[in-house]
Amino acid sequence: MHNNVNINVHHITRVEGHGNIVVNVKEGKIEKLQWQVPEAPRFFEAMVRGHSYQDIQTIVSRICGICSITHSLAATKAVESALGLKVSEQADKLRILMHYSEQLQSHTLHVGYLAAPDFFGTPSVVPLVARAADAVKTIVKAHRIANTWSDLIAGRTTHPVTLTPGGLTKIPTEKQLRQLQQTLKDAVPDLKKIAEVVLSVAANIPKFERPTEYVSLKQTNPPAYTFYHGGITSNDNKGAVVPIEKWHDVTNEFVVEQSTSKWAKWHRDAYAVGALARFNNNAELLSPMAKDAAKVFGLQKGCCNPYMNTVAQLVECFHVVETSIEIIDQLLTRGLKTEKVTSSPRAGKGSGCVEAPRGILFHEYEFDKNGKCVAADICIPTGQNHANIQKDFEKLLPEILDQPEKDIRLKLEMLVRAYDPCISCSTHFLDVQFVK
Amino acid sequence: MTNQSQKKDTIVIGLGNILFSDEGIGVHLIRRLSEHQNEFPLVDFIDAGTGGMNVLHLIANRKKAVIIDCVKMGKKQGTIKQFEPADVQTTKKMSHFSLHEADILQIINLSRQLGECPDKIVIFGIEPESLELGQKLSKTLSDGINAYLADICKELC
Repeated sequence: MHNNVNINVHHITRVEGHGNIVVNVKEGKIEKLQWQVPEAPRFFEAMVRGHSYQDIQTIVSRICGICSITHSLAATKAVESALGLKVSEQADKLRILMHYSEQLQSHTLHVGYLAAPDFFGTPSVVPLVARAADAVKTIVKAHRIANTWSDLIAGRTTHPVTLTPGGLTKIPTEKQLRQLQQTLKDAVPDLKKIAEVVLSVAANIPKFERPTEYVSLKQTNPPAYTFYHGGITSNDNKGAVVPIEKWHDVTNEFVVEQSTSKWAKWHRDAYAVGALARFNNNAELLSPMAKDAAKVFGLQKGCCNPYMNTVAQLVECFHVVETSIEIIDQLLTRGLKTEKVTSSPRAGKGSGCVEAPRGILFHEYEFDKNGKCVAADICIPTGQNHANIQKDFEKLLPEILDQPEKDIRLKLEMLVRAYDPCISCSTHFLDVQFVK
Repeated sequence: MTNQSQKKDTIVIGLGNILFSDEGIGVHLIRRLSEHQNEFPLVDFIDAGTGGMNVLHLIANRKKAVIIDCVKMGKKQGTIKQFEPADVQTTKKMSHFSLHEADILQIINLSRQLGECPDKIVIFGIEPESLELGQKLSKTLSDGINAYLADICKELC
């Protein structure tokens, strides 16, 4: 065991996000071990106050470039709940298709661009091209397919424009859906190839376990592996499902000194959300190919190794593609119909919940009689994971304290990455110094 | 996003978040440029917002890419500067930590590695005055819009 370890991964970004890992070990004793998120409050809720119920989903779609469809869907559902709007079965299925495109987009990005370099031992995806060119090209291809899929259903790759309270403003043609279905069928071998590549380096996924409460959506009527419908559950909730409107009773957000981002807890002192949480609560409802993928990786319900979240994301890639092929079949069998969407303002309050790629997301809005937003509340998945990351750190560090400091640092960083955090979206993409 | 078969040779991409004042200058400029689409039939104008990693796909197999973004360059607020990727080095620290911290220079590098990078990439960086929460540009950048548009259009002619 090392007598002294000092790690200070101090990642600073300008606008709103920090994520720091601080470790101080003196004479073998852990003096400080913190996952710090000194994130400036973002006040997105204030951004929508005073705006019409019709504009909310457009504004919140800009909160995040990775989960923009998810934010828009959560907001749209909340608005519909507040205004008592019903959505047709066709629009519902198309929205799920839209949502699945984002799951594939985000998961392929995370698996391929962030996690794979860790598994291969390269500092980023760029040098990985030299070591595993075919694998990177396959990941890029899968990501590109997901983007084109979003374009078709959401009207854009990011920041969707087809969502509106009560339905969709534009739907694809049957020909376009048939083309998409074929593209998804053709993508299956690529997903298998990606899984094979990840499996080939799976031995580098750290073996660490900590019994954890996993929180996700659960759909019981009809039972389905859900990202969009259902209520809230956890492995501590004995299979019971909490209605979305009661989400504050689940998140129980609280303030801690080490983070300006609030923490969350339900039955224990922390809980996890994300792909592994969904898997742990709903694995038996996965599509056949997804189940096969989980089996290949030895991922089983009850897994409490947070590093396996990446594998759960990979498993979900199979699920969303296979399920979407079925959904398109259902839509084409019934035939697409042009639907007129109407809505009118009224006073009300409503909650909306969907699963972002990185975990359960809650939106809540209140409107006055003119349909103007008077209050808003958003609880993002990464905020819900912060406490759990800290608890993982506290169990992990003593177990790896005899390893070289650089390995300790890498394992802590990999752990944070495994949660696929959204600690710094929305910033501009260039910080530069001129060299010429 | 444009289908591969319909891609035009040149793409102009506006990046940024319109919820953070000047951070959204790239998107504001793309919206204005799109109004002149008829004058530039061989150019795609794309509001990519904060979908940074999607730039990889947007620029793939084009001849030229023009990227407009709010950039901290240490210049006077409101300054627009035209440069190429080779002119700068990144100072971003988070790009391998979260998907939400894309680094355009790294994406361009990846595009080159994959053999699908445009021959010509031009970046227009605009030094922000305010990155506060708000959907309006600062007065400095708002006053500069026409000059920025003129500079960018010159590059497209």
